[in-house]
Amino acid sequence: MSQYKIIFTGPVGAGKTTAINSISDSPPIKTDAAASDMTKSRKAATTVAMDYGIMNLAGGEKIHLYGTPGQERFDFMWEILVNGGIGLILLLDNTRADPFQDMKFFLEAFDKFIAETGVAIGVTQMDISTTPTIDDYHVQLKGLGIKPPVFAVDARVKNDVSVLVQSLLFSLDPGLEEEA
Amino acid sequence: MSNNAKSPLKVTLHAMDERSVRTMVMYLKGPCQGAAVVVDEAFAEVDIFDGDNVNAKRLLTEHLAKPSSRPVIVLSLQSVKLDNVVLVKKPVKSEDMLGALAEVKARLAQQKINNPPVSVDTSLTDLPADKPVLKNYTINTDEQNKTSKHQTAMQLNEAAFGTYIGNVQGVDVNDPAQFANAIYAPKDYFQGYIQSAINTCQDKNENLQLHSGWRQLVLFPQSHEIWLDADDKELRAFASLKLEHVPSKKMSLSPFKTESLVLTNALEKFHSMDAFVWKLACWTSKGRYPDSINIDHPVYLKNWPNFSRLLITPHAMRIAALLVQEPRTLGDVARVLNIKPQYVFVFVSAAHALGLVGQARREADELVQAPDFKPLQKQGLLGRIISKLRGNKA
Repeated sequence: MSQYKIIFTGPVGAGKTTAINSISDSPPIKTDAAASDMTKSRKAATTVAMDYGIMNLAGGEKIHLYGTPGQERFDFMWEILVNGGIGLILLLDNTRADPFQDMKFFLEAFDKFIAETGVAIGVTQMDISTTPTIDDYHVQLKGLGIKPPVFAVDARVKNDVSVLVQSLLFSLDPGLEEEA
Repeated sequence: MSNNAKSPLKVTLHAMDERSVRTMVMYLKGPCQGAAVVVDEAFAEVDIFDGDNVNAKRLLTEHLAKPSSRPVIVLSLQSVKLDNVVLVKKPVKSEDMLGALAEVKARLAQQKINNPPVSVDTSLTDLPADKPVLKNYTINTDEQNKTSKHQTAMQLNEAAFGTYIGNVQGVDVNDPAQFANAIYAPKDYFQGYIQSAINTCQDKNENLQLHSGWRQLVLFPQSHEIWLDADDKELRAFASLKLEHVPSKKMSLSPFKTESLVLTNALEKFHSMDAFVWKLACWTSKGRYPDSINIDHPVYLKNWPNFSRLLITPHAMRIAALLVQEPRTLGDVARVLNIKPQYVFVFVSAAHALGLVGQARREADELVQAPDFKPLQKQGLLGRIISKLRGNKA
C-alpha cells in the first residue's frame, strides 16, 4: 500500500508539534529536547529530529503527518522528508520579529515541493500579537505571485488545523468531495 | 555505484550533536549518493561545520587558526564569506551539497599538484552570532478573552443550511430560469447599514456607535472590531428583516469614547469586523446573490477568506479554491462543482461583502471563463482525508 504524507513546517515555536497532535489518531512521536541555542528564547524544549503523527482513514489507509525540525540547523533533512508528500502546511508565529521573513524563507526553501503540490499557511499566536493581520500576509504573498489559503490558527484547536488542511486539499483539487 | 561513491570524500563533522551527525551520515549516503563518508577527524580530508550552532563561531575560529590544509564546508542560514571556506546555504539541497563536495575535491586535487599550504583568513567578523528573534509585544489579556473574535469556524453541511442560514420565500434560487430573481439588495437590510457604518468609521478612523433603534453596536476601526449587545440568534433574525418594514429604520452614527467603562465586562461581545460582516451577509442572503453582481459575467476571488474564523457554508472552501484559480460565472461554479447554486450565491454574497470578489465591469474587461479543471488521480484518497478531518469516518 502506498505511503501518503502531509508535511508541517515553520519556525521554532510556531506550533507544528501541537498541530500534528491535534489531528493525529495516535499520540505523536515527539523528539523534543531541551533547547540549548538560539531556540531557547522561544521555548524550553524544541524538536530536534521530527514529529510524526498518523491519520487512519476508512479502508485502512494511513496518512502520515511529519513535522520538520524547528531548528533550522537540522534542515538538511527537509529534502528527504518532502519526498512523496501530498502538500505543505506552513505555520508562522505572529509574535516573531519578522514573520514575513520567516514566510519567505520557508516558501523559498520548499519552492519546488510547493510548485509540484500546494501550500496552506496558518498564522498562530494571533490572540497574543494581532499584527501583522491576515490581510497583510496576503499583500506580501501577492508580491510573491501566489494566492494560497492563509488562516489564523490556534494549533491546539483541532478544527482550526482541520480547516487549514482541508483548504490545502481543496487547493489541489476543488472537485474533491467527501468519500466513505 | 556512482563515480563519487567509488572514491568518496572523507569528511568530519563539527558543531553537530549525535543526532544530527547520524542524520548527516544518512544524508551523505542517500541523497548525496555516497559522494562523501563521515570518518574520524584524524583521517578526514574535509571539515564540515554547522555554522548556525551556538558554538560554531568559536569552533570555526579555533579550527581556522590551526595550520591545517583541509578545506572547510560551512552549512549556514547566513551568507558567510570566509577565505577557503565553501558555504552551503540552508536549507541544504543535494545539488548544492554535491557542488560543494565537488569544489573541495577539485581543491584537494590541485593541492596535491602544488602542495602549498592553504592560507586561511581567521577573521570571523562576518559570521553572525546567534540572536534570538524576538518581537516586542505586550500580552493583552483582554484580547485573549474576546472569545467570539477568536472562536474557531463553524462548518455547515447541506442538511444544516436551511436551519441555520434560512431560505427565501417565493423564488426557487436553484432554478436557472429564476436566477434573475434570486438577487437581494444589501442596502435594504441591516447588512447595508453596517457596511456603510464601517466605511465611515474607517474613513474617520474613529470609534463610532451605530444608533439603529435596536441593540447597542460600536465599531472600532483601528482594531477592526465590532461590539454588539446581542447574540447570534438575535442578529440572525434582525439580519433577515427588510428595514423598510422596521419602524425606526433611520440610523445614525455618533462618536464613542467611553468603551473602557462600558464594554470591558462584556469582552465576549467583541467580534472581528470581517467575521461579523461575513455572517451577517450569509443570513441576509439566505442563498441569494447581491444585486451588484452580474450573473452572466465571470467573478473571481482576490484571495482566500480567513476561513478558520468565519462561518463556513456548504462547499465554501471548494468554491473559494475554484474562484481563486480562475474567474467563472456563478452558474458555472455550481455546474462544475455539481452543487446547488444557493451555496455559490451565499458564498459570493459573504465574500463580496468583504470586498474579496471581483467582476468585469466593462466589455473590454470581460474575463474569459476558465475551462473545466482536470480532477487529480488521488481524488478518492484526498476525499477520504476530508471526510476524516470533518469527523465523518473513522
